[in-house]
Amino acid sequence: MTSHWIDMIHADVAMVMGSNVVENHPVAAKWLARAKERGSLILNVDPRYTRTSSFADHYCQFRSGTDVAFVNGMINYALEHDYIQREYVVNYTNASFIINPDIGFHDGLFSGYDEAKRKYDAATWQYEMGADGMPLRDLTLQHPRCVYQLMKRHFSRYDVDTVCSITGAPREDYLKICRNYTSTWAPDRVGTWLYAMGTTQHTNGTQNIRTYAILQLLLGNVGLAGGGVNALRGESNVQGSTDFGLLFHILPGYNPSPLAAEQGLAAYNAANTPTSKDPKSANWWGNRPKYVVSMLKAWYGDHATAANDFGYDFLPKRDGDYSHISLFEAMYEGRIQGLILLGQNPAVGGPNSLKERAALEKLEWMVAVDLWQTETSTFWRRPGTDPASVQTEVFLLPACSSVEKEGSVINSGRWAQWRYKALEPVGESASDLWILDSLFKKLRAEYAQGGALPEAITKLNWDYGTPEQPDRHQEPDVHRVAREINGYFTRDTTIDDKGTPKSFKKGDQVPGFPMLQADGSTASGNWLYCNSYTGPEPKDNKLARRDGKDAANEIGLYPNWAWSWPMNRRILYNRASVDPAGRPWNPKKWVIRWNETEKKWEGDVPDGPWPPGEKHPFIMRADGHAALWAATLKDGPLPEFYEPLESPQHNLMSSVQVNPAIKLWHKSNPELNPVGEEATYPIIGTTYRVSEHWQAGAMTRNLPWLAELVPDAFVEMSQALANQRGIVNGDRVQVVTARGAMDVYALVTNRFQPFRVDGRLVHEVGVVWHFGWEGIVKGDSANVLTSHVGDANTMIPEYKAFLCDVRKITGGVA
Amino acid sequence: MNAMLIDSTRCVGCRACQIACKSWNELPSEKTQFFAGKGYQNPKDLSATTWTLITYNETKRRGRFDWVFGKRQCMHCLLPACATACPVTALKKTPEGPVVYDSSICLGCRYCQLACPFDVPRFEWDKVFTKITKCTMCADRVAEGMEPACCKACPTDAIVFGERSKLLAEAHARIDANPLNYVHHVFGEKEMGGTCVLHLSDVPHQELGHAGGLSEEPASAYSRPAMASIPFVLTGLGIGLGAVSWVVNRRQQLAAQQKEIERLHEIAEQAEGKEPGGTNS
Repeated sequence: MTSHWIDMIHADVAMVMGSNVVENHPVAAKWLARAKERGSLILNVDPRYTRTSSFADHYCQFRSGTDVAFVNGMINYALEHDYIQREYVVNYTNASFIINPDIGFHDGLFSGYDEAKRKYDAATWQYEMGADGMPLRDLTLQHPRCVYQLMKRHFSRYDVDTVCSITGAPREDYLKICRNYTSTWAPDRVGTWLYAMGTTQHTNGTQNIRTYAILQLLLGNVGLAGGGVNALRGESNVQGSTDFGLLFHILPGYNPSPLAAEQGLAAYNAANTPTSKDPKSANWWGNRPKYVVSMLKAWYGDHATAANDFGYDFLPKRDGDYSHISLFEAMYEGRIQGLILLGQNPAVGGPNSLKERAALEKLEWMVAVDLWQTETSTFWRRPGTDPASVQTEVFLLPACSSVEKEGSVINSGRWAQWRYKALEPVGESASDLWILDSLFKKLRAEYAQGGALPEAITKLNWDYGTPEQPDRHQEPDVHRVAREINGYFTRDTTIDDKGTPKSFKKGDQVPGFPMLQADGSTASGNWLYCNSYTGPEPKDNKLARRDGKDAANEIGLYPNWAWSWPMNRRILYNRASVDPAGRPWNPKKWVIRWNETEKKWEGDVPDGPWPPGEKHPFIMRADGHAALWAATLKDGPLPEFYEPLESPQHNLMSSVQVNPAIKLWHKSNPELNPVGEEATYPIIGTTYRVSEHWQAGAMTRNLPWLAELVPDAFVEMSQALANQRGIVNGDRVQVVTARGAMDVYALVTNRFQPFRVDGRLVHEVGVVWHFGWEGIVKGDSANVLTSHVGDANTMIPEYKAFLCDVRKITGGVA
Repeated sequence: MNAMLIDSTRCVGCRACQIACKSWNELPSEKTQFFAGKGYQNPKDLSATTWTLITYNETKRRGRFDWVFGKRQCMHCLLPACATACPVTALKKTPEGPVVYDSSICLGCRYCQLACPFDVPRFEWDKVFTKITKCTMCADRVAEGMEPACCKACPTDAIVFGERSKLLAEAHARIDANPLNYVHHVFGEKEMGGTCVLHLSDVPHQELGHAGGLSEEPASAYSRPAMASIPFVLTGLGIGLGAVSWVVNRRQQLAAQQKEIERLHEIAEQAEGKEPGGTNS
């Protein structure tokens, strides 16, 4: 989230799209309820009428996978009616920037496309540069190649009729959404945009989010109280997992993981450190070398020296894509020997899960660390499999739950909160930290005997207070971990702090990331968390703060409750909440403001200390401006609509049917990733969760009370489709795709309605994916239906739109 | 007197209340299959192990499709028919609000079940000596100054606990502030003489699963004779004992029940007599 949970109460309009916030984040409904009480309007867009729709003031249905068309139409509505916050757009976004003369767009493709490689060369998407090395701009927004004019041309194709024909949204409902949401263009009206996996899990996932960001920027809604582009995280600590680089393409703190071509720290820094000639650009990522070196110092300690590039060579270098789908494709081909899973259950949660379950059989060994026996840990005895035929050696390490250990959790609003141990771990279960610490000790002993690049392990700086031989009763000191994440000085150091020299002793905690250095004098496990634990004692742990006093602006920031990155800033991009003179756009709910007398900012921690107007507000961008136009993406600088990989409808916008930059796995091995056609699979399918179960279900299908509420997997469908197929509520039916089939109960409901798409009726059904063969209540996962295909930029699987058929099971026992 | 205000316009149907009730009262789960009612409802009905139940109702509101959620539980009447019907005063209205019961003296006669206009009391049919069970408004928590478990768990403040007169005023204030968003009827304000559970809704209360066509007269005014006229249609040990008890203690009980009715009227008058205060949300 660019803001935080409480901040929703300040929204004049809240849009929920690609999220079923009320069902999947029920506690968040508290804040939406308060917003409603204050007169906010809640809008909800979803293929079916959910508990969120019931809560909302206006609901509009639309077909799964047509998000880009839907919001592009809203952007067009805003541009057409000039419902934009012009001063914000001109000063804070790249609307005025002029693009390369060779930029082009024709029939669904931007310039630079290589069809054979399914890749774009983004050279023509770049800014046109002036002689001074700065991008050319036209602040009147008239230049035909300025971003604003390119946008007007691009989005004008998304008129209301076209959008409604693609999405199946009823025209009046659609216009109501457009009118209400774009009303937040006024400087003192704010809209928040809430989204989740309904947005990301598409082949157009990144562009779906881009449409939100573009609209929010045009309306001037980013950085203000009650605004923002807010990802509601699907797991209680998934924010922590991305912050700490548990993804193949990043290191902790969102630094790119090194590529094979980036040999040596200098090459890495050159490739990944942006530069700017604009004196008003803070270009914060220009500090990247400091953060990477500090991380290497934390990891390799005294073994990290300037002479050895601070241990950069110890880091693995990647060559391509190691995302979930790619890993399982490689596993299926027998190219992966072993797998360690911590709290993951791909046999239920992975796409095309029949294939992924089969892929697990190709492993020599697998270790599952989990609270329960999950379907992944028992893939060898799944229904229809003879355990004797599976050679994989499987270990289950029992993990204790979050209340049985001390540590931190980071919520969607970037609040890092300390938690305490309430109970002793059950049975032989242990904390993740103990398990990893013990595993490391064993690995280090093994690598001391030799192996491939043993230094990567043997030279690690690893001291969390446990003995060399793991002791079941000696828990690693989690405070040592937290202090290392914050970072410390590795030698006595004096730093020039805005003209004042500041001295630190070796071992002192670093007070904040502006102090981190690229010379090895500082260590920090994650620069973003530098400032979270600023002294040697547990009392210096800011994550543990529990002071409920609000900040001076009284907008619910509660700055001394826990801690949020970066630097305890509660609302990101808050320099955009004020005009260029430092006056809040919305004085009633100001986030920061400039105190002219005292020459300082008040309110939230500002995005940098500079006085108003001295720096552009979007400090993480090299040009300092928010990107309406994004030249860094793989599938185009502006969002363009393409159909999902499987769709009953040809693309009405162009002859390019699917995202031209996605990897098509089925082209190389069609029998393993079959793609269904409308003739056999005429119905759109989507997958989702319910309030009563959690993710792959291990934590809820093992609890009798929750099992009682939702005991079986089910498919939801409209009355019209049920009539057509002779199905009544409660029937057993089979849902089938080109990849798999599952037997489920049919829930026939008016909450699903067919869509009128391009003049004809199209049906959609939804299946819950929580179930598997373990637990008190059992069933199969909807992921036996889904496909191995991912977003062009992130490789997040397209769980949310596919083609299927639904057949009544007759004659057999359900 | 304590009461609960349940505003279905704030309810998101998450069922945290249903789980919190089972958790606090240590009630076992029931064996269910698919869904037993409309929408996601489970189990089928209130039972000895399910004291509160969320209902899922597809309906029309102001001409548009809507999906609304109701909460069923004991209404904790001001003048509870169950208490007056109980031959052994196992059920009792407390001055704090909850209608509680002492299962150690319950005979299992089911008069309370027959008497209840809201169809609430349930019996533990799986036990040899069946006893009444139902929502107690978490009288044990309330006695310790806490709110009922369902109330505590509700993420959207759809359930509010507090002084009845204040909650009644709050309920009317909400209707007045948003006249288009509510039906202009606080269910429980007058039904059967008034209850300590008050419901607000944006659709007719019956669509949420609440009983319709109820008198404004307290059931207790006529439930005693009504109960007395019910022949012993029920069989089994409980009823046998109940009949014995009935005969032996008849005179004693009549006196006790008369006393109980008087006491209930007193409590009700106290509750009604209080001036509506500010909001309690």
